[in-house]
Formats: sequence, structure tokens, C-alpha cells
Amino acid sequence: MTTTTGAAPVAEPEVRRRLRRLPPPAIRNGRALLLFIGGFGLTALFVVALGLVIGVKGAIAIIPWVAAITIPIAVVCWGLVRLTRNRQKWTLALVLLTDGAFIAILGYLIVTMSSRMGNPDATFFAQLILAFPFFVALASFWHFARGARWFDGTRESRLRPEESGARPITAALTMVPDTAPAAAVTITAPVPLGVEVLAGAAPPAPAPVAAVRPLLTVQGLKKHFPIYGGVLRRQIGTVFAVDGVDFEIMPGETFALVGESGCGKTTLGRTVIQLTPSTAGRVVFDGYELADVDPEDMRPLRRRMQIIFQDPFGSLNPRMPISDIIGEGLLAQGLTDRKARDGRVEDALELVGLRREYTRRYPHEFSGGQRQRIGVARALALGPDFIVADEPVSALDVSIQSQVLNLLLDLKRDLKLTYLFISHNLSVVQYFSDRVGVMYLGKIVEIGTVEQLYANPRHPYTVALLSAIPEADPRHRRKRLVLKGDVPSPAAPPAGCRFHTRCWLRERLGNPEDCSTVEPQLQVFGEEGHRVACHHAENLSQATVAQAAAEAPAVVAAAVEVE
Amino acid sequence: MTEASTIRPGVGVPPADDVLLDVRHLKTYFKVMDGTVPAVDDISFSLKRGQTLGIVGESGSGKSVTALTIMRLLDIPPAEIGKESEAWFDGREVLGLPEGEMRRIRGNDMAMIFQEPLTSLNPVFTVGDQIAEQVQLHMKVKERESRDRAVEMLRLVGIPSPERRAKQYPHELSGGMRQRVMIGMALSCDPKLIIADEPTTALDVTVQAQIMELLRAIQERTGAALLLITHDLGVIAEMVENVIVMYAGQIVEQGTVEQVLLEPRMPYTMGLIESIPTVEKRGGRLSAISGVVPSPFHLPPNCRFEPRCPYRWETCRTVTPALYDAGDGRLSRCHLHLVEATARREAAIAAHDDNMRMGRRLTGAPDRIGNA
Repeated sequence: MTTTTGAAPVAEPEVRRRLRRLPPPAIRNGRALLLFIGGFGLTALFVVALGLVIGVKGAIAIIPWVAAITIPIAVVCWGLVRLTRNRQKWTLALVLLTDGAFIAILGYLIVTMSSRMGNPDATFFAQLILAFPFFVALASFWHFARGARWFDGTRESRLRPEESGARPITAALTMVPDTAPAAAVTITAPVPLGVEVLAGAAPPAPAPVAAVRPLLTVQGLKKHFPIYGGVLRRQIGTVFAVDGVDFEIMPGETFALVGESGCGKTTLGRTVIQLTPSTAGRVVFDGYELADVDPEDMRPLRRRMQIIFQDPFGSLNPRMPISDIIGEGLLAQGLTDRKARDGRVEDALELVGLRREYTRRYPHEFSGGQRQRIGVARALALGPDFIVADEPVSALDVSIQSQVLNLLLDLKRDLKLTYLFISHNLSVVQYFSDRVGVMYLGKIVEIGTVEQLYANPRHPYTVALLSAIPEADPRHRRKRLVLKGDVPSPAAPPAGCRFHTRCWLRERLGNPEDCSTVEPQLQVFGEEGHRVACHHAENLSQATVAQAAAEAPAVVAAAVEVE
Repeated sequence: MTEASTIRPGVGVPPADDVLLDVRHLKTYFKVMDGTVPAVDDISFSLKRGQTLGIVGESGSGKSVTALTIMRLLDIPPAEIGKESEAWFDGREVLGLPEGEMRRIRGNDMAMIFQEPLTSLNPVFTVGDQIAEQVQLHMKVKERESRDRAVEMLRLVGIPSPERRAKQYPHELSGGMRQRVMIGMALSCDPKLIIADEPTTALDVTVQAQIMELLRAIQERTGAALLLITHDLGVIAEMVENVIVMYAGQIVEQGTVEQVLLEPRMPYTMGLIESIPTVEKRGGRLSAISGVVPSPFHLPPNCRFEPRCPYRWETCRTVTPALYDAGDGRLSRCHLHLVEATARREAAIAAHDDNMRMGRRLTGAPDRIGNA
């Protein structure tokens, strides 16, 4: 009935190659922009309505002269689009070729801007004004011929200025962001100028390329959830789920987040791949600033960032066959051909050690371990670089757990994956990951390599966590360093150091004041890369830990929480 | 239930006086539409007063059903208890007791701590009321006294400001607090036997450490026997003296905690222990048990572990293994313990030692500090 053997299958190079070969992000469901030249006024309205009905992704109007009615009509068009379900996806631009006063004003702007950019030759632009319709037609022909959607490459060029030079014309068209009212921008002339303006106005360029650039950089990331209550459902509080977190993940690395439930590790994982929008802070994935990428353009990026969920029973839709569960992501990415999709689903199943013919089965026909493999296959089907594994083995039995861990390790090696591994199980983390961040109440309190952290923990919370691991060796029964009470509510985190209410080290040091008043920052301690957020980390040694454990007050007293 | 009691007119001989719980040939079946599930298949063990016994196994191995059968908490039907099954508790055979008498024992002399404290506590009563109710029922005391007892129990299990907490509802308490309430409730009538079914599984590691310390301290203080059911070998190593390993409804290995965890003699136990990730195994693969637990409707006819066993040979497919004596009072359900399989056994043990040497080192002086 099952093929789940301990040895994960060796990934066929062919399978791997096929997995990598996804359709270019531009081809999405075969839809494109409507382009119409020469329309104005009511025509625009009709075209927009038509576009909404037939389901295109947006419209561009190139209007040879401006009429008084154009702007109001454009606003109505824009409103129409906003009212429909497509509003996130629609792009509407009116390119107005105008006369007289407009040309004069724009000419002034062109000259000013181009001189600022070191290109004062305005006559060049004047020639381009005349050539503009021709350019647009050419560009549109080129794009449609390639089956591309108008604004795809251009969004990327906005993100990656160094590439924008390759597609000057289309880049110019992206001056209209799809959330802005249509016709907000009138391009009368300066096409190449547009490129430069765009390049200049682009969001922060990717960090200068270092020797090895981190695949993922998280800076000051915050995720707060409002609490609504009272008669008027006003906001009465905030849950500080993730409250200022910084870390980096190198390509090919496994970075683990550990902490107790409620510490924000799962929220952090979800925020990193933008499943929930962040409240503040930056997430840079392979040079892309994720907060600035608008929802539509996240899609090609999402293909590269996948997640494996904790609960193999809750995360698979019981009414969908496996082919749909795994193929859903492929469909969303534009692989509409059923045959091709099923082929890829089978490839993914094979990669995780399940049979190819399982595609027509339903989740209830599988055991917990097999379901988790399906969850892994779903993530792999899109050929990602980066996978957030949110407690992938904690719902599984020990013998199955090791099968799945082996599988994840094999896939990492064969497909060159990078993992963000979220777990509360410190033994698994120690075995599985390269670097670890210990979270407590929305913050990272200690970060370092596995060797640094497990051999030489410097934060009293890490020490307590490590001390609490039960070891499957009866000779190692030892005095534990038992923490008092429970994790405080993240809606009202303690002032100063968030751990001070449960800190055993603070107690031993005679409750120094700074613990409860000053918030400690992550500081390098000892070796390179080992950072600790504790005012008194230097007072922590093996001796103090042993002493504290030995002197641990009676169990019952230790359990009493300080109120 | 009453039917069951008429079947057994006190068969068998009561166990010795120092044995608190003696389970003999316990069989529990579930009759469902698709057939009969032998959830527990011929299990025998005994637990002396004040001792600790752990039952370890994966989900579906029958460890929880064993506890529920002894507590008589299963609905009959669909459950059905084998006719030759006996469970002697404190000198009485409980499987055949009338429900009224069983009710007097359950919660009083025999208390159970469940895995999910939120679902086991009644959400519409305060935790104080819930403990007090039990005290009133079993100890024949006045209401006020029972309330005092409830507060006292909450204090005993380390709940801060117990007077205030006793007036709170389960949802107002954290997971660790709820589990403490459950333990307090279990202890409220001074039981002789505590059955703890995965008491720390739903808890965080720091809270799990608290609860384990608490259970250990209370067990030492009150002298109650503890039957701990868990899938976590770490918890087993911390908490108990003797261990039973269950697989597909059967006991496959039994011995002291040192014997079972340090020198396992049954390939399933070996595999379980080898599959625990440790720091020494970093960079390498974990040795995993291949395959999955067999479906209870399609159990392998003879050795139930045979399809997944790395050491199997023809005998395993054709002969049903008994619980063999593996020396030093330990039992193992494996044909490796047949005399003619000595060479195979030694090879298996050597392979296990080899696998473990990659991991935890087996040499070195014991350095137990806990409740040695």
C-alpha cells in the first residue's frame, strides 16, 4: 500500500529539471491588456467595461488629443474597476497625446528633468514625441507576439533598475501604478526619459552585491494584531506578535526559529513570505523588497517561497484529490494545461517518495506521515528556492518523524533549498539546522550557530529551554532549571527585558533594575555571529547554571508565578 | 457493563498484596462497520504499590485504550472486553465490578490525567467547583470542606493565589495551569494509582518540565503508583522505573527503563531509539523505521512488525512470536530470541550499538541525579 521507505528516492535529474521549468510568470491564464489607440471619452468607458466582462487584466488608452470629458470619464473608469472584484489586478492607463499648452508645460518639465539627469538635448525628445505612437504599437506587437502581459516585465524593472534598460518602452508605461487613478499621468513625449525617471524613482536598489548575498534579510520586522472590543468594536489593544526581529538567511542554509507557543515564531514565518502583511520593517528576498511589491507581482516571487504547514490533517482539503491539492499552486501560477499540470504533480509526488498514481486519491486515504509528504510535495511542485517549514514534524510519531526529516535533508541537498525551520523541539533543531534564533515574546533573544548556541548558551532563557529537554537516556536524569509560570501575554509584554518576569539569572543577581526598565539589544557575545539580548550575559556560566539548578527551590514553589 | 460483570464470576487468583494493579490477558476489541479492531491484544503486566510504569508506543498502538479499559471508561458496545481478561486493582477484579462500585473506585483510588486539559475540563463550571464536586462525591464531606480541599489541591499543584484561581473557568487558565488543575483534581481523593495519559504532550517544553517535576514530587510524596502513557521516550526516561513498549496492540518489549532504552532487544524498540535526532547524528541521515504502522484491519498474520523489520527472515512470516524471556527479567516479542537465531540476534544488537555509537555513546558511568 505504501512506498514510503526510509531511504528517500534519489531525485532524477530529469524530474528536477522539469520541476524547475515553470512557465514564465508573464503567461498567466492567457490574459493580457487591452490596447486601444485613438479612443477617447466614452470609448474609454466602453472598453473598460468590455475588458471587465471578458476578463482582461487592464487597459491602455492612447488618446491623440485631450477633451474636457476625458478626465472625468477616466475617473469613472477607475471607479468602475475599483468596484469590481478585479480591483487588485487591474491596470488602467490613459496615454494622452495632447496639444498646445500641455506640450509646452511638459516640454518645460522634460527639459528641466533631462538637464538634471545630464541630458539637455531636448530636440531629441521632440522627435520622440512624434514617434511615440509608433513606438507603442511596436512594443505592443512585440509583447503580444511573445505572449507576454504588458506590465509584467515592467514591474520587475521597477524592482530591479539594472534590468530596466532592456525594455525601455514598456518601462515607460509603468509610470501608472495600478492603484493610482487612471490618467493621472500624461505621457506626451519622453519615452526614454520615462525610463530614467523610473530608474531614479525606483524603490531602494538591492544592496550592493557582496561575496555571498543573503537570500533573505529581515530587518526590524514587526507584526501587530489589533484587538477589537467594546460596543463600538474599537481597537482596545494590540497583540505584539512579532516585535522587531532582524536576521539573515544565506542561500543553502537552514535557519531555525525556536521558542514556546505564543512567542510569535509561526507569525514570523508567515510574515516573512508575506502570507500576512507586516506592520513595519523590511523583508528582502533575493534583492526584492517584499513590502513594496504589489500583490499581483508577488506571484512570481511566491513561486520561489513556499511553506510546509504543521498539521498534515488540517492543511489538506479533504474534498480535493491530491492532483488538485498539489496542482492548485501550479494553476495559480498560470499552468492551465491539465495534462502538463498532472505531470508535474506526479513528478513532485515521486520526489517525496510517494507513488505517481496517487494523484486521484483523497487525503483521508493517507497516513499522517504520507500526508506530510504531500504537504512537502505541494511546496516542491513550484520549484521553490526557499521553504518555510512550520513545525513540519511535530504532529508525527517518532519513527515517521525521522523519515520526514531525512526527506527534507535529501531535498535540501538535491534541490539546493534554503529552509526557515520553525520548531519548538530543540533536539530536532539541533540535528537539523545550521543556525538558530531563540524567540521569546516576539523578539529574538539569542542567535547563533547550532554549535555556539547549544554548547555555550548565553541567554538565561536559552539555558532554561535547553535544560528542559527530556533526554531519552535514563542515566541523564538531572536537576532541571525549571522556569516559573507561563509566557506572559503578548498583548501586554513586560517592560524592559521581556523575560525578566521569569528570569532565574535576574533572581540570582538580586533583581538588578535595568532588567525591568531598559530593553536589551542583541549584542555580539564571544564568537562572531553569536548575539545575545541580555544585560547580564557575562554573569552566566556553566557554574551559575549548575548552581541555580541545584538550588532550585522546591518544585511547588518554583511553579508559583510572580504576580 | 453489567453484562460483562455477569460473565466473570471472579476467575483467577488475586495477586500478592504488594501488587496494586495486575492486568492479565487484557483484550479490547472495537466492533465497527468494517470489521473488528483488536485495539489491545492480550496484554499482561503488573504494577506494585508506589512504583512507576511507563507504556510507550506510537499512535494507534493501543496504549490509551489499555488505560481506558482498566478505568472502565469505554462504551460497551462498540468496545468489547475479552472474556478471559482480568484486571486486579487493590485486591479486586475491576473489569467485572458493577458500575456503581466501579464509580466508587474511579476518581477515588484510581485517578486519571488526560492529554487535553481543555477538553477534559467542563467549560461551564469553575475549576474549584469541579474539584469540589469530586471531593464531595467520594469523601462524603460538606460543601464548604470540599471547597477548602479544592483550594488546598490547587495550592499543592503550585497554582499561585489558589483562592482566586478556584473561582475561574478553564478558559481563563493557560495550558500549563489547566494541566495542573487536572493533576490537582486527580490527587484530590488521595488515589493509590494515577494513570497519566500523555500528560505533557500538549504543553511547551518549559511547562512540560514543570509538570514532570510536579508529578514526580507528588508521586514521591503521596506514594501513589504511576502508570504513565506517552509516545515520548524522553519523558519515559525521566519519569519511570519500568517500561512496556506497545506495537499494534501488543506488548513487544518489557523491562526496566535502563534495559529498554539502553539495551533494547526488540527491533522495533531499537528503531525507535535510533530514530531520535541527536547532535552527534548531525550531517548524517537518521535511521528511520521504514513503512507505516499496519492498519488494524489488515494486521500481518504472525509478527506484526515483520513487514517493517530490518532483521526479518522466513520464520517471522510463518511463526507467531511469543513474548520471549530475553534475560534479566525482560521480555521481548521477537524470534531473535530463539536459540537457533543467536547469530542473528548478536548481529542485530551489534548493528544497533553501531547505529547508536554514531549517536549517543553507551559507555560511561551512570550519573543519575533525579529520583534514583
